[in-house]
Amino acid sequence: MADILARPDGVAAWRRNWAHAVLPLAILAATLFIQGPLAHLPDWAVVPLADWVGGGLNWFAREATIGGVKVADITRALATAAEMPIDWLKVLLAEGWVTGAGFNKMHIAPPLSWLGVILATSLLALRLSGRGLALLTLLAGAYLVFFGLWLSAMTTLASVVLCVITALALGLAMGIWAYRSPGAEAVLRAVMNIMQTVPVFSYLLPTLLLFGYGPSAALFATVVYALPPMVHATVLALRSVPAETLELARMTGCSRAQTLLKVELPVATPRLAIGLNQVVMMTLNMVIIASMIGAGGLGYDVLRALRRLDFGAGFEAGMGIVALAVVLDRLTQVAAHNQSTGRRGLWKRRDTAIAVLLLLVPTAASLAVPAFATWPDGWTLTTAPFWNGAVSFINQNFYGPLEAIRTATLLGVMNPFRDLLLAAPWSAVVLLVALAGYALGGLRTAFSVALLMLFIVVTGYWEAAMSSVYLTVLSVALALAIGLPFGIWVSAHPRLHQPVQLVLDTLQTLPTLVYLLPAVMLFRNGDFSALIAIVSYAIAPAVRYGMAGMAHVPSERIEAGIMSGCTPWQTFRFVRLPSSLPTLILGINQTVMMALSMLVIAALVGTRELGQEVYTSLARGETGPGIVAGLCVACIALVADALLKSGAARAARHEGAVHV
Amino acid sequence: MKRVIASAMLALTLGAASPSMAFEPESDQPIKLMIADWSSMLIDTEILNIILSTYGYNVEKVVADDSARYPGFESGDLTIALETWQTTQDKAFTASVATGKVLDMGELGPHAKEDWWYPAYMEEKCPGLPDWKALKDCAAAFAAPETAPKGRYLSGPVSWGGHDEERVKALDLPFEVVHAGTDAAMFAELQSAYERKAPILLWIYEPHWAPTVYAGSFIKFPPYEAACYSDPSWGENKTAAYDCGKPEGWIKKMAWAEGEKVWPCAYDIVRKFTMDGKEVGELVYEVDVKARPVEEVAMEWAKKNEAKWRSWAACAQK
Amino acid sequence: MSEAHLISPSKAVEARPVALEAKGVWKVFGHGAGAFGQLPASARTPEALASAKLVGAVQDATFRIGRGEVFVIMGLSGSGKSTLLRCLTRLIEPTAGEVRYDGADILKLGDKPLVELRRRRMGMVFQHFALLPNRTVLGNVAFPLEVQGTPRAEAEARALELIETVGLKGREGRFPAELSGGQQQRVGIARSLTTNPEFWFLDEPFSALDPLIRADLQAEVLRLQKTHTRTVVFVTHDLDEAIRIADRIAIMEGGRIVQIGTPEELVTRPATDYVRRFVAKVSPARVVRVSSLMGPFGGGGVTAAVKADATISEIAPELVTATGPLAVVDPGGRQIGSLDRQRALATLAAGA
Repeated sequence: MADILARPDGVAAWRRNWAHAVLPLAILAATLFIQGPLAHLPDWAVVPLADWVGGGLNWFAREATIGGVKVADITRALATAAEMPIDWLKVLLAEGWVTGAGFNKMHIAPPLSWLGVILATSLLALRLSGRGLALLTLLAGAYLVFFGLWLSAMTTLASVVLCVITALALGLAMGIWAYRSPGAEAVLRAVMNIMQTVPVFSYLLPTLLLFGYGPSAALFATVVYALPPMVHATVLALRSVPAETLELARMTGCSRAQTLLKVELPVATPRLAIGLNQVVMMTLNMVIIASMIGAGGLGYDVLRALRRLDFGAGFEAGMGIVALAVVLDRLTQVAAHNQSTGRRGLWKRRDTAIAVLLLLVPTAASLAVPAFATWPDGWTLTTAPFWNGAVSFINQNFYGPLEAIRTATLLGVMNPFRDLLLAAPWSAVVLLVALAGYALGGLRTAFSVALLMLFIVVTGYWEAAMSSVYLTVLSVALALAIGLPFGIWVSAHPRLHQPVQLVLDTLQTLPTLVYLLPAVMLFRNGDFSALIAIVSYAIAPAVRYGMAGMAHVPSERIEAGIMSGCTPWQTFRFVRLPSSLPTLILGINQTVMMALSMLVIAALVGTRELGQEVYTSLARGETGPGIVAGLCVACIALVADALLKSGAARAARHEGAVHV
Repeated sequence: MKRVIASAMLALTLGAASPSMAFEPESDQPIKLMIADWSSMLIDTEILNIILSTYGYNVEKVVADDSARYPGFESGDLTIALETWQTTQDKAFTASVATGKVLDMGELGPHAKEDWWYPAYMEEKCPGLPDWKALKDCAAAFAAPETAPKGRYLSGPVSWGGHDEERVKALDLPFEVVHAGTDAAMFAELQSAYERKAPILLWIYEPHWAPTVYAGSFIKFPPYEAACYSDPSWGENKTAAYDCGKPEGWIKKMAWAEGEKVWPCAYDIVRKFTMDGKEVGELVYEVDVKARPVEEVAMEWAKKNEAKWRSWAACAQK
Repeated sequence: MSEAHLISPSKAVEARPVALEAKGVWKVFGHGAGAFGQLPASARTPEALASAKLVGAVQDATFRIGRGEVFVIMGLSGSGKSTLLRCLTRLIEPTAGEVRYDGADILKLGDKPLVELRRRRMGMVFQHFALLPNRTVLGNVAFPLEVQGTPRAEAEARALELIETVGLKGREGRFPAELSGGQQQRVGIARSLTTNPEFWFLDEPFSALDPLIRADLQAEVLRLQKTHTRTVVFVTHDLDEAIRIADRIAIMEGGRIVQIGTPEELVTRPATDYVRRFVAKVSPARVVRVSSLMGPFGGGGVTAAVKADATISEIAPELVTATGPLAVVDPGGRQIGSLDRQRALATLAAGA
């Protein structure tokens, strides 16, 4: 019945699509005849933007003055100021109070004992949430202690805490500003979009130039990275405050400040908490990269372990980051949830006293029993030999079949696709993309995607960008092919939801390098290892959106389908899939964004594309090319975003709202 | 903690006995020691850190990239680096010293070497090794499916430079150059191949732990001379440069020139600071293979060699 | 439509002094709404609106509300009733017109006096309660006083008093999420009365509640109004609710007020077809009062006494047991007329 009804419409649609399909084909055919500057931009036409940006930044960081004060002096003063609280937290959590140095080093007071910190945090978890979270906190703490990761974890925690507070405060302020002033919002949204899509490595070097080497540079880079979701969440959260509640504020005669502090922010707290949560997760994502520019801690442990090819130790330290992330994530979530549901008064004055006792007694005891301050090296556990052995075992026994898969994929799919993209003339590709933009979103979309693509052309990164596109397209295809069906399957099994969420959280917070190096052992340096790394990271959003898309199909529609006599497959095909299409397209969008954000990391296993350009210019200390290549990555991301969002909007027009 | 308390006790007793407590550093501005991402530099810099801070200097360690360090040194963001390798930094270092803003503080001691390297078991598959000419005939032995019939040579990260593409062309080697993403990724592939006794040819540098763990040798290319890199008519190929091996040579200490006026005594100590090549190799092995903390290994060395480093610090023991 | 046609004065209301007056209030949306507001009043016609492609959410609303009167604005969704309510409080800025409180036009007020007016003299109940989820019942009810800077102890004492009044004593420590919908709206009512306002605005306050609870809360509003008479503007789409609560009802259709009158007037003399269809199902006995059917005092032969302001359905038991005409008495108990039983029974039967 559905088929018969659909046919006339379907034929029309097919005709439309046919028209859409012929034009690209015609263009592709034309490309065979396109030669010269329209195929490959001559060198003289390339705008030396990288040189200008590099020169400009160097001037800004070294010579520029504001009101007679050198910019460099201002930023350095900021860096010094930022370092103070980090140092203070480190003294408290990790290092203890120390005077003198070298041979004259003297410990005056020990840091807070691990036992005290774990017990006090567990008490907090118990009061805020319950036994489950308290147990999780205990386990995570025990993991960090028994595996000898405690001191590093506390160093990391010190900088994470400061990063989160800074990003939270700045994000709130900017979000409130954007919420109140539409002009500011437009500007901020554009800046945030770029900040979110430019790879971190691009602005690492400018950060170093401005703030000097060390933990404060890491702090600033992390804040820049973690800020956009907080600003975004703040605007959304404030917008979500019901109109009636705002009217209440006006009717009771609240001043602007009263409206903000007593009405808007408290009511928006649950959604603000989503932002806080994202900030925490993104800050922990940055731990590894921050340790590259002097933040130390667990990230540094991972790097050190991997340098000596001790994958097991790297994995353990990486799981330490995950443990920290999971506890912080759950604690912030539960605190925010309590706020929003008004579960208050859970933490009593007596609890504060108990927590102080829990912190102080073991710390005092550590003066007599050193094991309370630092878990003795001899008592630590390690599973590293097992993991190393496992990698080694697979390497020696299964290398043959793995190599066969790698070779087949590389020669059969990856290389031909890359060659095709590299051979296509830029003019034809830009035209095609603009056409797609027109078909999906109209003239405006077509115009903006064409402009973004032209930026890549004129800055001279076209070929590197095409290599990036090739890697991204293949990784996204693979991630979706695995992730979406899996997510859809999981959505039908509620019991699996929690464990799958935990696995996804782990995949997204476990530093990529931890599984990148074993991948290199099995699949060598090159694009195939990069593909695996990108897929393993980008699969998380694919699974998440697969689950979310199915979960939000209105149950009435499903019931209607079942009552019409649909088989389970028909229900899926005719009811669930069309209903969840907008959400699934957004999932594809997120997967693309994740894949692009991984390109720079993939450069660490020897790809040759924009990510490598960014990474290499960081290593060589060339500011300009790093930023411009980073902007090119952002351009690709924005083009993909524009096309997919228009696609999702089109799908949503037919299927109702998007549920995310 | 035991370790910490022990060192604190040691510090107390030493502090009471040694004249160093009486020494007042010339300035309490921080001396910024550069550290980069390889182990020998981490260890010897930590040793210098122990020495300088024993005499009361305010010392900071800052991470900087090997090639990106020069602006930092010229502006004073970095004060001292103990390792500048002639193999990769020759040109940049010389240019930077020429600006007058950076000082050459003399050689550290160890000899730097880096070049194409193969594991010992490859000698069976390619009999003419280590002579470079043998590579022309046994490219197939080093081939991977995607490079066949050419051989596969794993070069360092792109940022290291190294002119391997030019070398392959100049010496007409049937090889494809593949760049590792990072130092660690490069050695991960070595370990993988070594476990399976599979063919591999890659860039290795010394001092490093790898040559002490894996048996193998460097390819013998025509030895490097400055002219080889700059003058096409030099050597084997009369029309191309880079027809030779990679440079080997000194590892030098460098410093921010202005600092000489700020901390003359510290600069004196740095000038006298030297390490033995073999000694560095052993320390690197402790850290990289035995996975011991850098601080522990450095402190152990400092205790064992106290007389030596106190003699470098004559200016601080009036 | 002239004002005279719209408003058929009812004696009880006429006697009250005017507390709130709307004069030619317009709220127009669309490009050029401002320019429309600048037109002279005579040029602001539905035709001008249509030709400018504007939407008139509220068109030329004019009425007077007496002190202590319960004035209900009724209409279907989209009729502009909530917009009109918000124009009266300036939550929405009217495009044109005057809104006078005790004779003073509040559209001319600056921010500060307006805030002061809302703080001291107005209270509002919202359709979806608009409780602050992070505050307890006590915190929510004390909120308007807190905003004014009333000392905490005083604010909480007053809040507790009101919580008790609305029957939530003992639940002051609960959070909104822990209460049922009906209880939440009781909190909303208590909060709107914390400052003891003269003007009480209720925006579809019970439309989100179940019928039984709705009836309870309507009774609650009537009780509160009896103990402490305020000038009330009550918005609803429920005619039964309007009839139960209102002194007078304004019926809106497409942004215009089509009739204003007592429930009895609307049912017995609908001004337009729209109103007639609307009130068609209302039994006249529910709205027709004894006073309307009352005949002159004929002396002797009465079997029972009924109050003049009672509706016919309220005196149904007396009608059934009576055998002849009934005496009609005023609130003081004096007989002021008599009611013919047959005529009253006919009214009772009309809507059945």
